[in-house]
Amino acid sequence: MVIVPATTGQMGVLPGHVATIAELKRGVLSVHEGSETTKYFVSSSFVFIHANSFADIIAIEAVPLDWIDVNLVQKGLEDFTQKLSSATTELEKAEAQIGIDVHSALNSALTG
Amino acid sequence: MASNAAVPFWRAAGMTYITYSNICANLVRNCLKEPYKTEALSREKVHFSISKWTDGKPEKPTLRSDSPEE
Repeated sequence: MVIVPATTGQMGVLPGHVATIAELKRGVLSVHEGSETTKYFVSSSFVFIHANSFADIIAIEAVPLDWIDVNLVQKGLEDFTQKLSSATTELEKAEAQIGIDVHSALNSALTG
Repeated sequence: MASNAAVPFWRAAGMTYITYSNICANLVRNCLKEPYKTEALSREKVHFSISKWTDGKPEKPTLRSDSPEE
């Protein structure tokens, strides 16, 4: 079973799942095989579940959780929180907000 | 007729999905431990050539090579 962080909430995918296309928000994707779980952090991605019980995850970046450096995450979170308060244009605010969202998701992936 | 979903904040600010997705990916790459980070930074490089067409003929192409700190 695979648990994916869809924009509409956590979604569990088992064999025989109805064919679906879902947008995923950045977060932890966990693959449960028997008693083993492998977790990955994906930046925004899509999941395509096919009718024949195959599922594809299309992501630009998907990394195992232990590749992530917690200090860089903390620093990034502080940087972007600071950028948001000093942002002027809508675009700058959006970029700073994305920075905060991604870093908080990374943070909770490491601590959760 | 109301829309059935709120527009995401980045689209409301004029950003496209692909820009948003690339920004997210860059942020994740910057938070990696070594040696994964150096491998990842090589994925951020872009290298392409553009040529403008006039009168049905291509002009001289320009090469663009963007490194991550653009």
